[in-house]
Amino acid sequence: MKSQQAANRPDNTAFTQQRLPAWQPMLSAHFVIPGFLLIGMAFIGIGVALYITSQNIQVLEKDYTGTGQYTACSECADMQTIPCICNVTFSLTTLFTGPVFLYYGLSNYYQNYRKYQVSRDDVQLWGDVTKSPGDACAPYQYIDNKPIAPCGSIANSMFNDTFSLYQIINGTMKLVPLDGKGIAWWTDYNIKFRNPSAQGSLQDAFNGTMKPVNWSKPAYELNPSDMNDNGFLNQDFLVWMRTAALPDFQKLYRRITSGDYALGLPPGDYVLQIEYNYAVKDFGRKKVVFSNVTWMGGKNEFLGVAYIVVGSLCLVMSVVMLVVYAKYKFADENA
Amino acid sequence: MPTGVSVGSVAADLSWEVRANNRLFHRKQRRRSCLCLHRGRYSDNVIRSYKYSALTFLPLSLFEQFQRIANIYFLCIVVLQSIPAISTLPWYTTMIPLLTVLSVRGFKDLADDLARRHSDSQINRQPCDLLTNEGFTSVQWKDVCVGDVLRLHKDQTVPADLLLLTTTEPHSLCYIETSDIDGETNLKIRQALAVTHQELSSDPIEPSLLAFDGQVWCEEPNSHLHSFKGVLEWRDMRHLLDTGHILLRGTVLRNTRVAYGLTIYTGLDSKILQNCGQTAVKTTQVERTLNKVVVGIVLLVLLFALLLAVGAGIFEARVAPGIEALAELGGRYTPVYKVFLTFWGYIILLSPSMPMSLYITFELVHVIHSLFIGWDLDLYDGGVDVPAHARSTTLNEELGQVRYLLSDKTGTLTENRLIFRQCCVAGVLYGNMPDKAKKHDPLDLSWNPFSCGGLQFSDKRLVDTLRKPGSPDVREFFKALALCHTVMAEWKDAGVSEEASAGAGAPVYQAASPDEETLVGAARELGWVFLSRTRDSMTLSELGHRRQYQLLALLDFTSQRRRMSVLVRDPEGELKLYCKGADIVILERLRKDSTYCESTEKALEVFSQGCLRTLCVAVRSVQEGLWEEWSRALELAAMTTGASDDLYDNMERELTLLGVTAIEDQLQVGVPETIATLRQAGIKVWVLTGDKKETAVNVGFACRLLDPGTRLLQGEELRQLLQTPSPEIPLDGGHGKGKGAGNRTSAMVITGPELVEFEEQPELGKRFIALSRQCQAVLCCRTTPSQKAGVVQLIRKYTSSITMAIGDGANDVNMIKTAHIGVGLNGLEGGQAVQNADFSLAKFHFLRKLLLVHGRWSYRRISVFLRYFLYKTSSFAFVHVWFAFCNGFSGQPMYETWFITLYTVLYTSFPVQCLAVFEQDVSAEGSLRWPSLYQLGVGRQLFNPRLLAGTFLYSIYTSLVLFFLPLSVFCFSAIDFQTFSITVATASVFTSTTELILQTGYWTMFNVAAIVFSMSMYFLATLILHSPLLHTIAPADFYFLGAFQNAFASPLVWLTVLLTTCTAVLPSLAARALLLVLNPPDTHRVHSSDGAIRTERHLELRPAFRRGHVRRRSSYAMSQGPGFGWLITSGVALDKTSATQSDRVDINKIEMDFATKMQMHVPQADHSQESAGCGQTELTADAVDL
Repeated sequence: MKSQQAANRPDNTAFTQQRLPAWQPMLSAHFVIPGFLLIGMAFIGIGVALYITSQNIQVLEKDYTGTGQYTACSECADMQTIPCICNVTFSLTTLFTGPVFLYYGLSNYYQNYRKYQVSRDDVQLWGDVTKSPGDACAPYQYIDNKPIAPCGSIANSMFNDTFSLYQIINGTMKLVPLDGKGIAWWTDYNIKFRNPSAQGSLQDAFNGTMKPVNWSKPAYELNPSDMNDNGFLNQDFLVWMRTAALPDFQKLYRRITSGDYALGLPPGDYVLQIEYNYAVKDFGRKKVVFSNVTWMGGKNEFLGVAYIVVGSLCLVMSVVMLVVYAKYKFADENA
Repeated sequence: MPTGVSVGSVAADLSWEVRANNRLFHRKQRRRSCLCLHRGRYSDNVIRSYKYSALTFLPLSLFEQFQRIANIYFLCIVVLQSIPAISTLPWYTTMIPLLTVLSVRGFKDLADDLARRHSDSQINRQPCDLLTNEGFTSVQWKDVCVGDVLRLHKDQTVPADLLLLTTTEPHSLCYIETSDIDGETNLKIRQALAVTHQELSSDPIEPSLLAFDGQVWCEEPNSHLHSFKGVLEWRDMRHLLDTGHILLRGTVLRNTRVAYGLTIYTGLDSKILQNCGQTAVKTTQVERTLNKVVVGIVLLVLLFALLLAVGAGIFEARVAPGIEALAELGGRYTPVYKVFLTFWGYIILLSPSMPMSLYITFELVHVIHSLFIGWDLDLYDGGVDVPAHARSTTLNEELGQVRYLLSDKTGTLTENRLIFRQCCVAGVLYGNMPDKAKKHDPLDLSWNPFSCGGLQFSDKRLVDTLRKPGSPDVREFFKALALCHTVMAEWKDAGVSEEASAGAGAPVYQAASPDEETLVGAARELGWVFLSRTRDSMTLSELGHRRQYQLLALLDFTSQRRRMSVLVRDPEGELKLYCKGADIVILERLRKDSTYCESTEKALEVFSQGCLRTLCVAVRSVQEGLWEEWSRALELAAMTTGASDDLYDNMERELTLLGVTAIEDQLQVGVPETIATLRQAGIKVWVLTGDKKETAVNVGFACRLLDPGTRLLQGEELRQLLQTPSPEIPLDGGHGKGKGAGNRTSAMVITGPELVEFEEQPELGKRFIALSRQCQAVLCCRTTPSQKAGVVQLIRKYTSSITMAIGDGANDVNMIKTAHIGVGLNGLEGGQAVQNADFSLAKFHFLRKLLLVHGRWSYRRISVFLRYFLYKTSSFAFVHVWFAFCNGFSGQPMYETWFITLYTVLYTSFPVQCLAVFEQDVSAEGSLRWPSLYQLGVGRQLFNPRLLAGTFLYSIYTSLVLFFLPLSVFCFSAIDFQTFSITVATASVFTSTTELILQTGYWTMFNVAAIVFSMSMYFLATLILHSPLLHTIAPADFYFLGAFQNAFASPLVWLTVLLTTCTAVLPSLAARALLLVLNPPDTHRVHSSDGAIRTERHLELRPAFRRGHVRRRSSYAMSQGPGFGWLITSGVALDKTSATQSDRVDINKIEMDFATKMQMHVPQADHSQESAGCGQTELTADAVDL
């Protein structure tokens, strides 16, 4: 009877009565001021470490657009003769510690433009060239009603300058071996991209497709020296297809890891021979970058400085708070 | 008495035609409505508070939902997203949430509507007796039709507005209780027309009622409860009808065996439903602000999109043509068209700043807060097994912002019960202060066979004094109480009623005034039993001795005279005038040599401090000669002028004071404490009652709404104040001149008719509200239900404050509907208030926790929740604006589309939900102990445009940091877009989580679990979305393959995320720290000084009992209007002879019992005198203490 009477009685649990055990942090000045101090110190510490690391990275940049203040490759800048070979020379006075990475850099190039980014067909790049390419590839979808492989604007605009590096030793040019293996993401090379499979050679697999308009060679002939580095699995192609975040970007071209140059580029004179194919003068510039890398990647002074600035701000805050607190407490005790 | 006149033309305004017993006529004209078209005029007696039918549900529900600006906005976004040319995000990112919201809300509305249907049908299915050709048959309320003749039994509720035709009582009188309509507890008298009474009271009655073919012409249905104009045409005669012939729907038949009535208005046409007002959808102030913010954000998004589109135009014209790879894209469109597309693309891209999930979560949080209210054990009344219930789940945060509490009186503040507490006879105080009475045992009244309990009076000395021979003062006092009144005694047939058998044959009193009923009842309990009256005699049983007094004159009560007297000739032949009335009136009419004046004044002071209603009782011995002379003068006056007040004055002079009675209008449990706490919390409490001024003021004092020193502004003084352009309460120089003259608080007392003037003169109303700001309380008396609603509207019109109305009866429904928040008390009857309320409570004092704890928490939780939500979503979405400058204004999303979809739903939603559900800045106990914390909500300090602007600026800052720090780090580097995107996304998730951690002050395990879960979900979901498996299934949808492994393997990404997160929350962190250092928040003080507050509060509730400072005020109160005097003197309700034969037998038997018991008890009485003496000393000690 009694239970019936209290049928509507709410449950007496910690949840329904809003009495859940809880921790209510009661922060006080004694905790906050040292806290800020600590964060500030830690940030400054990180910042200094980053800055020093960054300072140790050697970087060599050569702009070879051929117009404006840099004169290198000016003979090729007008794109009259194709192919146009030009040389960029430089000399090193100290050892350029290895492994040295060779990048090409483009500026004012909007690889993150929305229509550009989507101008590809992931199904096709996954090895299915028989299917008609997606609409996103337009206007680089078909030539004479034959599908373009690889289709789309990204592939079509692939960077096609080539570089070879020579060291000048006693007037003779010694080729510095450039390693083009493994410069693309593992996932791109192994999963995301696949060559179309066919009974015969790779060429057969691309049968019935057209090469992109701007390409001089079809996809299966991208790297004549290494048969396995062709088609959709060409390393340079993979690097290019991984679009850059910002309009000014670099992309890894080669690494110098083998032979006499495994420890780095020794002091001396060098010639970078460039096959100048890629027109940029209408929108921006291009350059080559030699750099060695540390655990934090390439040279990056900003990050260290930013950490130091934020850390200092925290320190300043803690000092301000200390002053305010002291004054407040002082006034309190007086009163 | 209206008399018949011959048929002429009917007045033009009496156009409502009712033909008795003519169903066909009325059925033909039954009102039918289809959407907005109405046809016919008579509505049926069915209550339909539901909104939807099966057909109209979908369109109506959708129509209502799309009145919300947000839903329209989201619909537009969905439409935009499904246009391929501009779709920057897939269509399902908004469509699925929108459908969820619409269906959830639709189902909730449907459930509410079904509940309304259920309660409607409960009302509609109540039984009543309808006259048909086969006699009376029981039908349901909904089947009652205009023109039907109904039979009502005692204690039945009237189902429609009826014209009273006849009753079983003499002269076709009947008594009704109207507490559900106007809040007055006393019984009202209704009387049928003489003609219907005479012609229809046959036995059996059915044939004559069936033959009744009268025709009523009256006004069209209206909301005036106290007026009715009409004529009855019957047998070629015309009889005038007024409100005295009408039984309104919702009133209850009392003390009348059977009444017969003709249905005049049914259903919506009935007066009480005409008073009900319209149900409006209520939205909270926070929600309205939120809607403004939505509009603001939408405008901002439009502006941003426009600017970015302009940027896109420049880019397309200047930069893009140079880049061959871009120039050909989107080929054949003209640049202008491209810009146009970009504009819409950015609108879609920026739309997540106002996400759908905000509304979903908002609703969910509301529901949980409402559940908490229902779950609260402190709001559960074990006695009636009723928990609190939030019927509307959208108003919770408004509970934390109430500035005006408008309360009904009867049944809400008071128990609806009067108790005889104390009296002062011959200078001696008897009885105890109300709060001490509970400790005493009830008196042993077994010696009195007429006693039927209910007396809460425990001073044994009084009984001893009464029964001891030789205490003439006390006996005279109770004789006066038993004689001087207009109460009628009713003798129950023990066989009919169970009550009567329980009461051992005691008379049941019917009184126009509950005060009189209480006094006569108290006299009965103590041995002076009023047995019966005839037109010119009254019979008492005085301690068992039956005595008959001849009633010579009855000088009835009026509100001007504020007193009433009876002139009687006692059995010994002596003439005596007994008079009772307000203390001021009686004291000035005393004989010069009156004794006990001083002690009586003191007693009055004690009583008024105890907030008891007092009446002075006095007697005068009248000489035979004086009486003869006076009665002749009275007859003369009655024949000529009718003005008898002066004559009454002449008689009521030279009085000898007998004593003072003190009646407590018993308050509900905890009412004074609750009102005191609410006042401390800064809530202005207004009392709106249908009751009269004196009663309201008395209750105002009793429940601490008014302090003893409060100055009352009323009547002419108030009127003059309101005439001045900018009214200010004048300083009351007369009293307390020295210190704190300006500190005196004031309160306004206003009546219904005065309120009507405000409607006519709007500037008066404006001044009234302005004046009310300077007052601690406002009492509105004599108000009708629609006037109550009018007061609420007045406040809403001239202030922007939140109003809350609380009530228990049908007369409060309109007010409850009109106020921002309506609270219904689960009263004993009807529950109409609850049906229309937003919240229902069992007791008034639950309001304290509902407002101070649930309301305050809800307001804080929801304010913090909304602000945080806006911060989180806009800081995340506005990154796109800055990114546009780096991607050629192309509409490229910064994030993976999956991230955009899941960010608000999965990665950051649970922690903020926990915050909105569990957050407590101060514990429940602390909130109650420290009512001033409530001010935060009243002042809208947690959710206002200024704070929102701050939040918005902060989110802009955060979005800048979120984009430009990673940009600066990665500029010129070999980073790819996907890694960059993940870096910004991770920083964004971390930032919003960190900000949430800063906001959370109350860490339950759920909060921790939610944060851990959300963060792990972020990493887990990202891992899965970037996994090879999903990519192989749908390469185009899961194109971020491998980005997870590559990005999170890079220390640079982690360092950037850490730096970005810290920089983004640094301002918030610093501001919090600075605030902490500068002034420790209230919570600290609350926690550190718990003990101090407790004692402080304890003291605060005491000062009403201070001595000396208090001016004694007259707390006289009685029911308004003349009582049953005219009935008695005219003899309408009484037979000329004495009580019936059977009654007399009973009485004789009882009297014999009485005598035997008396003999047995006498020795004991002596014995108990000792202890009574002790009681007296104790009482004096109390008095000094006071």
